[in-house]
Amino acid sequence: MSSARKNRKIALSMEELLQHALVIELEAEQSYKELADQMEECGNHDVAVLFSKMAALEGKHATKIRHHATGVELKEHPPWKYRWEGFESPETLELTEVHYLMKPHHALDLALSCERRAESFFRRAAAESEDQAVKNLAQEFADDEHQHAIWMQEWLGKYPTPKMDWAEDLDPPAGAD
Amino acid sequence: MSEAISQRLKASDYKSANKPVWCPGCGDFHVLLSIAKALAHLQLPTEKVAVISGIGCSSRIPAYLNTYGFHGVHGRALPLATGVKVARSDLTVICAGGDGDGFSIGGNHLLHACRRNIDMTYIVMDNEIYGMTKGQPSPTTAADWDSKLTPGGPGISPFHPLVIALASGANFVARAFSGDPNGTTEMLVDAITHPGFSFVQILSPCVTFRPDQKNWKKQVHPAPVTTTADASQAARRVMTDDGFNIGVLYKGSRPAYRQIVTTVTRTNRDLEKEFVT
Repeated sequence: MSSARKNRKIALSMEELLQHALVIELEAEQSYKELADQMEECGNHDVAVLFSKMAALEGKHATKIRHHATGVELKEHPPWKYRWEGFESPETLELTEVHYLMKPHHALDLALSCERRAESFFRRAAAESEDQAVKNLAQEFADDEHQHAIWMQEWLGKYPTPKMDWAEDLDPPAGAD
Repeated sequence: MSEAISQRLKASDYKSANKPVWCPGCGDFHVLLSIAKALAHLQLPTEKVAVISGIGCSSRIPAYLNTYGFHGVHGRALPLATGVKVARSDLTVICAGGDGDGFSIGGNHLLHACRRNIDMTYIVMDNEIYGMTKGQPSPTTAADWDSKLTPGGPGISPFHPLVIALASGANFVARAFSGDPNGTTEMLVDAITHPGFSFVQILSPCVTFRPDQKNWKKQVHPAPVTTTADASQAARRVMTDDGFNIGVLYKGSRPAYRQIVTTVTRTNRDLEKEFVT
């Protein structure tokens, strides 16, 4: 990934901050829904249910952001104009890290990384803005994400680390292994 | 939220209700997302878009989009797409498939589609393997890629699709990475709106048969050069790059193919007279 992308400033106006925050939650919701479908398609019901729950949570977060945006004219930007630090919005799960045999532990671990990335994004937005109102709201969003990460960590604690052979498939789809 | 935003078609409006059966983690999920985002950005009516494909994992894509679609036969996506565009020039035609379908079985069609310069976009999701048939090497597989099916590697130099496209006359040539769906969206918007034949190679990892391709996200980087309109300069650049430069590499100005409309004056009966009965 380009270091230029990672290092570019993410100072945002109030409208941009709200729009970025909304897109973060909407894209996370959509991504979790699709991952739930993917897991259901390959028979991994436990993880499918977990991803569906996460999609519902992200949907609630989006509603909260919309509430914050009441009275603000939000403008949709072209997808490539958002100032994400990585290739995608920070709460979108890294697609190549999912596996059809993954366990709830792995799913929650990846989701925890997403919450941490979102927190980091908002902390930077707060630090790099010169507008005090934007700083305050970005800080509030960062604190929310921090709280989500704590909940995610507690949730993760309920699922022990899977055994080393969790990806072993006695009837693998791959013929070239 | 403004009324204007809610009335616009969203990326999700371009996706069908069919659930993709690709392996979880497959790069093609992101390509699907990028196509949907590009169509949403352009606000193209779903009934004004046709997505045509051949055979392979990635060629399933028309079924997952809410536009017109045609899942054709192996390697013949480009002739089909050409026919659709010539018959219905009002449609935005997107042709999509994989490296096996496009560069091997349909390799000859690629040359002539580039040469004809018909106004459409060809997306090749390149994972350097035949995924649907369980991992045989494709024309873009590295010569030393060792596997159970090809011990020691196929031993054949890989095909260089961007150079071939440039040499054959494609009017727009770009390389994207599926793991960068927003950057890919921008490139697809550019490709769709550029007149003539646009060719976009999208590096799209196959996590099942090529788990090593998970590293592509660390290897890709923006092309350190600006887009050129000089095909020979673009060809030199892609011949010498590391294969992981992403960006629009060439934008030509060759006029797109225009159908010459003729008035048919002969009837079927006139034609029949020319055959021996």
